[in-house]
Amino acid sequence: MTASAVPARRPGAAAVVLIAALVGLLVVLPLAGLVRVAAGGGLAGIARALAAPQSVRATVHTIALAAVVTALAVPGGAALALGVERQEPRRRRVLRPVVASGLIVPEFVLGFGWTQAYGPAGLTDRLAGIPLPGLYGPAGIVLVLATHAVPLAYLVVTAGLAVRADVDLHRAARASGAGRWAALRTITLPLLRVPLLAASALVFASVVNSFAVPQLLGTPAGFATMSTLVYQDLNLSADPAAFTDLTVVALAMVLLVLVAVAPAEVWLGAVRTRPPNLDPPVPAGSGRLVTAAVWAFATLTVGLPVLAVLLAALTRAPGLASVPANWTLANFADAFAGETGAALARSLWLAAAAALLVPALGGLLAGLRGRLAGRPLAVAVTLSYAVPGSALAVGVAIGYGRWLAGTALIILVAYLAKFWILGYLPVRAALDRLSAEPVRAARVSGAGPATTLATVVLPPLRTALASAAALAFLFAFHELTMSSILYGPGSQTLAVVVLNQRELGNIGTTSALAVVLTVPVCLAAAVLLPRRGRT
Amino acid sequence: MRNIGPAAVLAAAVLLAAGCAGSSGTPAATASAPALTLYTSVTQNTVDAVVAGFAAAHPGAKVDVFRATTGSLNARIAADQRSGGLKADVIWGTDPLSMQSYADQHLLRAWPVPNASGVAAAAQARYFWGTRWLYLVLVTARGLNPAPRSWSDLTDPAYRGVVALPDPAAAGSAFAALGYFSQAPGFGLDFYKRLKANGATQVSTVPEVVTAVAQGRAKVGLTLDSEVRSATAKGSPVNLVWPADGAISLYSPIAQVATAPHAAAATAFCEYVLSADAQRRIAQTGWQPILPGIPGPPQPSGATSVSPDWTALFGRQRQLLQQYQAIFGA
Repeated sequence: MTASAVPARRPGAAAVVLIAALVGLLVVLPLAGLVRVAAGGGLAGIARALAAPQSVRATVHTIALAAVVTALAVPGGAALALGVERQEPRRRRVLRPVVASGLIVPEFVLGFGWTQAYGPAGLTDRLAGIPLPGLYGPAGIVLVLATHAVPLAYLVVTAGLAVRADVDLHRAARASGAGRWAALRTITLPLLRVPLLAASALVFASVVNSFAVPQLLGTPAGFATMSTLVYQDLNLSADPAAFTDLTVVALAMVLLVLVAVAPAEVWLGAVRTRPPNLDPPVPAGSGRLVTAAVWAFATLTVGLPVLAVLLAALTRAPGLASVPANWTLANFADAFAGETGAALARSLWLAAAAALLVPALGGLLAGLRGRLAGRPLAVAVTLSYAVPGSALAVGVAIGYGRWLAGTALIILVAYLAKFWILGYLPVRAALDRLSAEPVRAARVSGAGPATTLATVVLPPLRTALASAAALAFLFAFHELTMSSILYGPGSQTLAVVVLNQRELGNIGTTSALAVVLTVPVCLAAAVLLPRRGRT
Repeated sequence: MRNIGPAAVLAAAVLLAAGCAGSSGTPAATASAPALTLYTSVTQNTVDAVVAGFAAAHPGAKVDVFRATTGSLNARIAADQRSGGLKADVIWGTDPLSMQSYADQHLLRAWPVPNASGVAAAAQARYFWGTRWLYLVLVTARGLNPAPRSWSDLTDPAYRGVVALPDPAAAGSAFAALGYFSQAPGFGLDFYKRLKANGATQVSTVPEVVTAVAQGRAKVGLTLDSEVRSATAKGSPVNLVWPADGAISLYSPIAQVATAPHAAAATAFCEYVLSADAQRRIAQTGWQPILPGIPGPPQPSGATSVSPDWTALFGRQRQLLQQYQAIFGA
């Protein structure tokens, strides 16, 4: 060990304690609240809730969905990452936001957009008489969730690529006569193991947790998942037995993610790091092909659905043709009646706070890698992401309601608990490709911990931290479920307004709000993502 | 790497503190004018109109409203009970089922307003009273010929594959239909088997039924009358059909919380909601007032309504849903 290791040890131990305390406060406390409720019915109650035929069916559906979407989205996201990140910087700057578009659009807007674009009486049906068969049902859910998950996988893999070491090896392999595929198989993929695993864990947990799309596309087909089952029980949960059962199902979702993710996390902890090489990526030959593929993917999966939502927002009433004669801005005026403006501002504020704190929390936790304590803490953070929002909100309310009920702060606590993992995974994937040697060199040359952090560690992590901040902002801004349970007087978020409008059943106003929910993030992405590309 | 710990911890602590500083505090209640907290699942515009009227009738009154869907409201109440007790003074719901569960858990006080006359006996229970009527009716695509006239027409081969039903698990109002048909002679759960056999599809919410019919995904649907009226007012190509055998009615109940911190204000609010002024405001936002003297939205002449026997349904919600899902589930 070098000289730097000695002074680092004691603050390191303090950091472990602090992070453990934060995990305890943000994750364990709410989950413990849920466990207490779930245990209220005793072991027999838990067994009965889990063995009920509808629980078994929903569990099977959820596992199948999560497995299929992960199998589709992670290779898809990785292929896009390899294709796009190896382009020349100018082209990359344009393509990044196009790829990310599937994530920028909130999940429920995307699902609603697909029904309006490809469903019966949707755009393609009206224009060409071709509705997408199976949209309402498991096939449709897989398609829409994969659309949402591909950019998620892309961002995590990109964060790993940004400090990746394969350029020289890749060049060497190609110069020695290896074909493109051989180089991919023997050089790039093994180096991407960690980001791929991280992406798989995140996508799997996301699908288990996803609610809006299964609810929108699965309910009409009678296809239930664990999250829609929890929602249904919530509607009946004035009945205490139903409430206990729903917490049992919610905790079963946590277990499911634990089984899927914990082995990956343990295995991640055992992976060796490699020295970094921060050369700019090599431009790949097939630039036009990649560009065309990215645009086609984004247009079909995101562009048309969002266009359909926009048309619905502009049209006076559902069922009228979306032609200029039937267009109106009244839906937007209705959407902004009352509290909407203030709620929008509050949502932006909360999302910004999450965007600052989540990368910091994620970085802290990722800094523990290699320590034994880091792994269970990381698993705990993954678990709180897997709890359905409604159940986590109840856990947070039980844990913090006495002190924070009705304040915006309790919503922020819920966001941090839920989205911590979004900060952790990208930074974790990037750190893994960063060697300890430059850090040691800086410390040996006399740099203090702060200088080392600022000049050696943070610069290569910039992409990862920016990814984490962007993800946290997006997910917090779009969060509907938790804030609609936790808000109080003077702390309504945009989500509350959107849900109220959806209850009023006005499809035009809901679409207008969906546009409002989507556009600020699109603008921010259009401004921020290309700038990031310059680094 | 191990050196990033302390600096990042400090940064996080500073940010966390900044986050705390930005949050809003809990407003203090004033002593003189009535101040109360209302938990409700009633639609926003109706709540806004009634709360504004209450403030006009009691100058300086302050009502903190927590409005959420029935499911979120249930979650909030469940969480409140486990973290220091229910924080509401008044609960104003959409259907009697959740309210009865609250009563069973001793969360409600026996109906506090002695002299509210005119409320139909069918909309009174020991702990809560109705404030407005909701009617489940048929919505049809404009130009549908022949149009269905009664509930039983929905199983007619003429409507094969074109009927949309709301998911009874999604909201109490949709459940009222399941509750009614399960009890009504000549219907029963068999009615749902016949609907399924006739190709009826389930959509998620009550408003979505209207959208499905307006967009042509379905031609007939079961939905709330107010949804159809607001769609036709905007020009949607749909018609409201009041079933000849009667619309299915449910009442939206209000109750005072047993442990209400502001009991007097809570009683005043309950009393106000059953006043002529509040009832007119409820009518203006598209609902049928519970007081018979106050005109509500137009109904066809000779319109009748039927309602489930709520007492028999209390506590049977999940069992009925499971039977329904065995028919309509995948």
